[in-house]
Amino acid sequence: MKTEEKEGIVFDIQHYSIHDGPGIRTNVFVKGCPLRCRWCQNPESQSVKPQLMYRLEPCVGCGACVPRCPRQAIRLEEGKVITDRTRCNGCGACVSVCPAEAREITGEPMTAQDVLEKVIQDKLFYDTSGGGVTMTGGEILAQPDFVAAVLKLCKENGLHTAIETCGYGSWEELDQILDYTDLALYDVKHMDSEKHKEGTGAGNERILENLARLSGEKNIPVIVRVPLIPGFNDTEENMRQMAAFIKEKLPTCQEVNLLPYHKLGEGKKEQLERENAAFICEPPAQEDVERLRALLCELGVKATV
Amino acid sequence: MKDSLKINKYPLCVEVFRLANESLDSTGGDPMLLRRAKLHAHILDNITIFIEEDDLLCGSGASKPFGLEMQYEYGVWTKDEVESLKSEIYTISPEDEEELYRLNDRFAGNSLNHNLVETMGKSLGENDRLWPFMKSGCILPPWKDKSGGSGGGFAMSGYGLGPGFSLVAVDFARVLRDGAKGIIAEAKQCLSDLRYDAADSLEKRYFWEGVIIVYEAWVRFANRYADLAEEMAAGESRPQRKAELLEMARICRKVPYEPAETFREAMQSYWFTFLMMCPSPTATGGRFDQFMYPYYKKDKEEKRITDDQVLELLEVMRCKVMKINRVSGKANRAKNAGMAKWYNWTIGGQKPDGSDATNELSYLLLEAAKDTHLPHYTLTVRVHENSPKEFLVKALEVVKTGLGLPAFIGDNSYMNFFTGGGLSVEQARDYCATGCVDGNVQATTRTQVAVFFIIPQAMDICMHNGYCRFTKETVGIETGDVTKMESFEEFKAAVYRQMAYLMGMANERINVELIAERELFPDVFRSSLMKDGVKTGKDMFNRTFEMENAAVLGAVGGVNTGNALAAIKKLVYEEKKYTMAQLLTALDADWEGFPEMRKDFQDAPKYGNNIDYVDSIVADVYSYYASVCLSLPCAYGGTLRPNAISISAHQPGGAVTGATADGRKGGEILADASLSPDHGQDLSGPLAVFQSAMKVNQDAYQGTLMNMKFHPTALKTESDLEKLASVVKTYLTHGGKHVQFNVVNKEEMLDAKEHPEEHPELVVRVAGYSAYFTRLTDGIQNEVINRTCHDL
Repeated sequence: MKTEEKEGIVFDIQHYSIHDGPGIRTNVFVKGCPLRCRWCQNPESQSVKPQLMYRLEPCVGCGACVPRCPRQAIRLEEGKVITDRTRCNGCGACVSVCPAEAREITGEPMTAQDVLEKVIQDKLFYDTSGGGVTMTGGEILAQPDFVAAVLKLCKENGLHTAIETCGYGSWEELDQILDYTDLALYDVKHMDSEKHKEGTGAGNERILENLARLSGEKNIPVIVRVPLIPGFNDTEENMRQMAAFIKEKLPTCQEVNLLPYHKLGEGKKEQLERENAAFICEPPAQEDVERLRALLCELGVKATV
Repeated sequence: MKDSLKINKYPLCVEVFRLANESLDSTGGDPMLLRRAKLHAHILDNITIFIEEDDLLCGSGASKPFGLEMQYEYGVWTKDEVESLKSEIYTISPEDEEELYRLNDRFAGNSLNHNLVETMGKSLGENDRLWPFMKSGCILPPWKDKSGGSGGGFAMSGYGLGPGFSLVAVDFARVLRDGAKGIIAEAKQCLSDLRYDAADSLEKRYFWEGVIIVYEAWVRFANRYADLAEEMAAGESRPQRKAELLEMARICRKVPYEPAETFREAMQSYWFTFLMMCPSPTATGGRFDQFMYPYYKKDKEEKRITDDQVLELLEVMRCKVMKINRVSGKANRAKNAGMAKWYNWTIGGQKPDGSDATNELSYLLLEAAKDTHLPHYTLTVRVHENSPKEFLVKALEVVKTGLGLPAFIGDNSYMNFFTGGGLSVEQARDYCATGCVDGNVQATTRTQVAVFFIIPQAMDICMHNGYCRFTKETVGIETGDVTKMESFEEFKAAVYRQMAYLMGMANERINVELIAERELFPDVFRSSLMKDGVKTGKDMFNRTFEMENAAVLGAVGGVNTGNALAAIKKLVYEEKKYTMAQLLTALDADWEGFPEMRKDFQDAPKYGNNIDYVDSIVADVYSYYASVCLSLPCAYGGTLRPNAISISAHQPGGAVTGATADGRKGGEILADASLSPDHGQDLSGPLAVFQSAMKVNQDAYQGTLMNMKFHPTALKTESDLEKLASVVKTYLTHGGKHVQFNVVNKEEMLDAKEHPEEHPELVVRVAGYSAYFTRLTDGIQNEVINRTCHDL
């Protein structure tokens, strides 16, 4: 199959992204993630398949969607629309008939060429600001062939490329992506593998090993990103271990970004009609974030919030 | 001094009205040039003056602090109109109100205003061909009776002559450099050199005599301030204030008569000149950072002044501009929301040789705006390839405070406008924003009449073969039965033909006003401050300038028109999902009973998302509109010119326009500005909006408008501002003409609607001007809230 024709599932393309890499960028979000972080802000990105999103407030309970479902997954109970998520396969037949625009499918199949055509529209603005394209997710390693194909096309068209990854995948899969990557934004959630497993469902060995190779062998500039989750990884010990790792294993590390936890993803869980094991957590206090940032700097690692 | 801005009611004053009419009563036999000059001198010699506590610049623009002087040129203030004002944020003392009605009775018959209204009424209202057009809502406000829709009188501040709305940046540098002394001397020389050898020899004599009369009165006026300041100093016990008053007295004895030598003298001379450009809600500050710079630099070098002291003066000037206001009659108040005024200072840009012109004063003007957090005067930043990044970031820091200013304009597109009109590149480099974002070159071009043209109304008239749904009568020409048109091209050609026909009538209306104002409102003061203004011996309304920019027709609803055409192209002609007859039925029913059809038309591609299909049609509408303007003759010479700045006319423009094929319901507001997408229809982020706009050839336009709203989270860090600065520069060096930002969150605005008393300081950008949100009309408030907010 030609590079242009490689197909993937994209759940968002965000133009004018200014917080994920240098300059003005377009973020391409691919669907699917191998981790299950308890604090996940993009729950709609976890499954690789297209999914139905449903917003309660605009829904008028008219029931127009009910007969449209080929799998009889929707029913009306006392004026409320209820979708049986075990039956729904995200086909989207119910979306267009909804007069209130309460239903929406997240995740759209696109070819690498489709994505290129979307992102290249802003080339003028990348060129004048030093920006480019950032592939993110979900997790790019959920669709490695597709991501590599998109990045290859971007490079062929003179765009600066960045990836944002959790690094949980095989080296071979990551490696093919790195051939077309100018900058990696690499998430490190915890230096302690046990803790990492508690928070995300997987240990961190493979993640750290990939990271070290990406920097040491492939020599790709990297920015380490740490979502700061109160009570999980916001300890000084964790920061010390991270600083040591960076100094020993990451010659190309430019800086560490601390990303304080926020609650903007809460609404999305409801839209997926999913009762997650409640993750109750307040955003970290500003002074704690600043203390950890200062500590990293003290340890000789540039850190920003 | 900012404390003195806290008032609840603006006093309406009658002194100017009385003085003007007294003078007019005694100059009946004089030629108009001299009648007006004497009237001007009479006001300067007699208007009550005062110096407020903490003030450092003399001159306030009315006989009372914050006062609005009833004007004599436009309409008479009837009791009904005054009552309506009193119910709002205005007040009038019982004595003044009584005197006003007495003056009305005495002078109603012979005021100049009467002549303007009568000329407009007789030419346009009592004309069978034009009268239906004047009512149709194609231009605003729609006339309700044959005597004209002037919408009541005006009350404004300022020591100059009316009428307001002149868009002109005069040669401030000349006053600073030569003083009134030099100008009077030149007029005297011209008089002695005059030979009676041409048809206009007498006219020139009147002009030069007028110049001497007005400038001498202006010098006496400044000396009255010197006397007052000395008198106040004598009774002042605080040593610092006493010293300030004595310095003010010294300066007013010297300028504007003598050339200014220090920054403080230049400030006072400039301020007196600026007040002579008012009353006009569009009085222009010009390229202040350029012509004031030599005085600043010299004082700094000779350690006569510090940046803090300069900042203080600039901040005092901001406070003083806040006190210059204007109000119009009921009908016009809806058109320009929120005590609209467009006092515009332009900063940055290029020097005549093309190098970057940004200097310390450019930064200090931004700092003064940020410090005072006052919405007036507005600042406009000229952007070109070599504009320093730090300067743009500094400007965005001011934007970030939520003040809605500065606006950003692009040198490339503006300069192309002027070089396309015949000026040299060097001349074009000296342009500035006058009024909202209307471009004029300092002392070289000026605009006198700007009228809004509602394009969707013209399209609707075409859809009904010349019949206007708003007035229920035939207004246009018969452009054919649209249900019988076989191709989109044929249909579009019909729409364009109707548009061109109606624009021709709009141009006639403009010309009537131009001619009447030339006859009635000569003004030797500002005319003498145009290029070769004294030497030429002509009023600026009675000269044809190198490039004529006298009249502009402002496109409103171009985006709706393009969106509507695109929807028709797709659904009627390409997909053939609906017939034109079905569409007409739905439009005539205001979409009632056709929800699915309406949704299809709403879902058709919309401008603002970087979709070529519709963007190219919007671009075509603007391109055709410009070509029609440039084919219509202007009474002052040259042609009509296009602009596209709706101010807030998209609201009343929408109110008169029935349902449109972009899915809009009748009466709803039209798309804001001219290049902003319609409300909530830009779903692809700010870059797509810019790219849609870059497909429109904006160079032919005297000004275009793009409003964008950002949530504060998009402008948090220095790096965020740098990135936005790069977007601004990219847009403005690649065909874009203007962009301005509102940074405010929706919750705050919704709360301000609910509890206005808790948000008196909330400032938003409406169109070319910032205003207090709580003083906007309900419709405009909703519109500002609904402009898509780019949040990241």
